[in-house]
Amino acid sequence: MKKSKSHKLGEVISIVSHQFKTPLSAIKGYLEVLIAGDLGKINKDQKDYLQDTLENTNRMISLVKDLLDVSRVEQGRLELKKTSSDLEKIIKRVIKEISPFARANNCSISFKVLNEIPRLNIDSLKIEQVVCNFISNAVSYSKGKGKGKAMVRVELQKKGKDVIFCCQDNGIGIADEDRGKIFNKFYRSEKAMVLAPGGSGFGLFISKAIIEKSQGKIWFKSKKGKGSTFCFSLRAKK
Amino acid sequence: MFFFASKEMKKKKILIIEDDTFLLKLYSDKLKREGFDVLKSLTGEEGLNKVLSEKPDLVILDIILSRRSGFEILSEMKLNPKMKKIPVIILTNLGQKSDIKRGLDLGAVAYLVKTDFSVNQLPKLIKEHLAKKKK
Repeated sequence: MKKSKSHKLGEVISIVSHQFKTPLSAIKGYLEVLIAGDLGKINKDQKDYLQDTLENTNRMISLVKDLLDVSRVEQGRLELKKTSSDLEKIIKRVIKEISPFARANNCSISFKVLNEIPRLNIDSLKIEQVVCNFISNAVSYSKGKGKGKAMVRVELQKKGKDVIFCCQDNGIGIADEDRGKIFNKFYRSEKAMVLAPGGSGFGLFISKAIIEKSQGKIWFKSKKGKGSTFCFSLRAKK
Repeated sequence: MFFFASKEMKKKKILIIEDDTFLLKLYSDKLKREGFDVLKSLTGEEGLNKVLSEKPDLVILDIILSRRSGFEILSEMKLNPKMKKIPVIILTNLGQKSDIKRGLDLGAVAYLVKTDFSVNQLPKLIKEHLAKKKK
């Protein structure tokens, strides 16, 4: 069968991304050794510069991983390893990880579980990736809204046969002209590029693919200037 | 205390099988600074020969290697009574769940993804597995 252009491109991206991982691992490792002071004491300015370099290296590693995920989606090779998992625990872990970033952006995150949540048969790492994408987007796009504290509300509930996760922010919202493109790969609105310049435009594309592959649904509600709510639902374990 | 130091403090021999020279130097220098005796191999075949001839206390093994893959080396080690008890830590950039499962099923004591792991944690992890081996 003849391969499509996007399939071939996906293969190229996959090979190139794998090739990038080795030198990036080396750069990351050498920086970590220097920052740890293994080769002698470094002063505060030197440490700050090295830490900034490490942060940027980690950003590149994330981008490479996102590219690999995109190429897997394009080639239909997105792999899910489902196990019985506790979604509530996953969300708490993500919030804990994102908290320093939220604090730095003067943003508070609240989490409410509305009723008893059963264990789900999901790929916990992949779903964690989606939860992390939603919450970090909410924090990023709550910045610069103007007066008032940025707030992110995370809610989890069981409704019928589904478990629904929603993440609401009081940020910039999504303009009408951007609504149809929000799950497209590489797509970033003009405002998004200003508020989160480090973003790749892959996050929601990958999140959608993961949720759909998990037989779930993904959606959002938003009003420009009033904030957004991103949700996904997953079928509870039978 | 000094008189039994030679027996107790004998340097542990760690073999690193890694085909990237920069990473090989990084891991090797780190472990030497922590007091390990380090052996290095850039290819899978040479690495396997060194496991047999040098009998290291622990092996750090990459997966994508020239000549023979890390999975092949690990399988061979676990089939050979002279090598099967040597703990193997896989350190690779293959991070798919199927790869991790394969490595652990073949008998690796740990599976680490290079981009997600800090080299500063390596000595501690090695010491933990060497201590487990002793028990």
